[in-house]
Amino acid sequence: MMRPSSISLRRSARQILFSSVSSVSTIRAAAPVLTAATHRSLSTSTSTSTGSGSGCTCANGSRRPQVKQTQKLQQQQQRQHRNAYHSYDHPSSSAAFTPVEESILSAAYQHVPSHGFTPSALAAGARDAGYLDISPTILPEGAFALIRYHLVKQREELAARVSELFGGEGHVGARPGLSEREIRGRVEAVTWARLSANAQVIGRWQEALAIMAQPSYVPLSLKELALLSDEILFLAGDSSVDPSWYTKRASLSTIYAAAELFMTNDHSPEFMDTRAFLNRRLREVNEVGGVFRNLREWVGFTATAGVNVLRSKGVKI
Amino acid sequence: MLRPATRPALAATRQVRQCAARFFSSPASPDTSSSHVHSPSTTPKANPVPPPPNSKSSTSSSKGKKPLTAEQRAFLSSALRVNQAGELAATLIYTGQTPPLVTRDPSLRPLMKHMYDQEAAHLRTFNDLIYRHRVRPTALYPLWSVMATGLGWGTAMLGKEAAMACTEAVETEIGGHYNAQIRKLLEMVSEWEAEGYEVGAEFRHLINTLRRIRDEELEHLDHAVEHDAQKAEPHWLLTGVIRAGCRGAIWVSERV
Repeated sequence: MMRPSSISLRRSARQILFSSVSSVSTIRAAAPVLTAATHRSLSTSTSTSTGSGSGCTCANGSRRPQVKQTQKLQQQQQRQHRNAYHSYDHPSSSAAFTPVEESILSAAYQHVPSHGFTPSALAAGARDAGYLDISPTILPEGAFALIRYHLVKQREELAARVSELFGGEGHVGARPGLSEREIRGRVEAVTWARLSANAQVIGRWQEALAIMAQPSYVPLSLKELALLSDEILFLAGDSSVDPSWYTKRASLSTIYAAAELFMTNDHSPEFMDTRAFLNRRLREVNEVGGVFRNLREWVGFTATAGVNVLRSKGVKI
Repeated sequence: MLRPATRPALAATRQVRQCAARFFSSPASPDTSSSHVHSPSTTPKANPVPPPPNSKSSTSSSKGKKPLTAEQRAFLSSALRVNQAGELAATLIYTGQTPPLVTRDPSLRPLMKHMYDQEAAHLRTFNDLIYRHRVRPTALYPLWSVMATGLGWGTAMLGKEAAMACTEAVETEIGGHYNAQIRKLLEMVSEWEAEGYEVGAEFRHLINTLRRIRDEELEHLDHAVEHDAQKAEPHWLLTGVIRAGCRGAIWVSERV
């Protein structure tokens, strides 16, 4: 005689569950509509696709393909911007984030030292910025968006810091008179300036590195690394445009990533050990590069001398 | 110097060039294609002083300057990249050609030096532009170096006529290539002007630089034709192969 009561219990439980689910889904429906509306006014292709993506969430609950599409679109846009012509007279708008994303992320960034690069920091940031707690869903990458925000902002602020460092002429270091030695010094200084910018979030940076190493975020993280090493070498005034353009960027990226990892475990005052580590790595690369340069020079000289000897002997080459 | 046999060909190239010059000249910036053989633009410091950034935004006109679109930036990147690769190749072709040619015919020395100096100045100009505008240089740099040196040396070993035919073929392709770029840039500028936007000095400067360089390349073409390029045997095969190679290299350098 327990049966009816258990059935009714189950039914009422189901009703409660259903109502809670439906209320969640109405909230979910409301939040994206709100954000989609604000977004649509911005009328960038990413934001509209984000809007329609979250709109589909309520319709059929299949969110994943839309998210993928959004990510692909973003990646395409970013790929187009990589190492593309940089105009001084007609600068393209290089905003990596839409204003809404920017306001949420900049508020959430203040919570990073206490909450880390986590969804809870994003939720706290959204609340501070005056949005619903649920609104970070407009960021398809979740906590990684916060990491990317850090990377992008620090990279963009590097130019200003460099012009402080070198007295106003940091940007476009197109002074032709810089010697190899001076450029090396500047590369070290700029790289250190960028590493120091990690100091305020250093306690949380290991987590961030772990998130960046997740397979779906690796391409974006590597792209940011490439952009950073390009920025550093440009600001340092390295004007080589031969194959060493590639090798310099590759080696600087490796060194920077290693130094960043080293820094997360560095407890010395003002990260002195990290700076020493950075200097050692840069010196090593320079020594290896020097060996290759000397080898190439020797081969070139010997070949030219050989050809000239043959020519002087009357061989018609 | 001009032999009767080469005169019609020379006249033909001149005509093409004048035609092109008339077509591409715009009222905003007068064309410089009338600068002729041995113009004073061969000074070693051909690099124009880079205009400092953010200095000429003072003129307040109707709408300001329009930001570049992604396609325009992609076009400019690949244009500068391919130009740098081309000038690198040209420098190396002349470097490879000079010793065998000069040992056979020492009277060619001043001409080869003149052409080499101009190409080296072009290369410096594009190196500077690539650095300033933060464009990625071509990844096939070593390949182009080897191929260009081989081409220069190989054609010079075949004889003076073959070397000049090589110059003729390369400069014909390059002239057309620069013309296409200038046309595209002028389209961009006229579009901006039609929409009421300002055009930055950067672009006027770039267009004028490209025009100057195109004229110097076509001048090399004239020199080559004057020096018996068309007497090479077999002329059609040499120029055909080299021109096809040039087009292929341009196509690849625009992408890689």
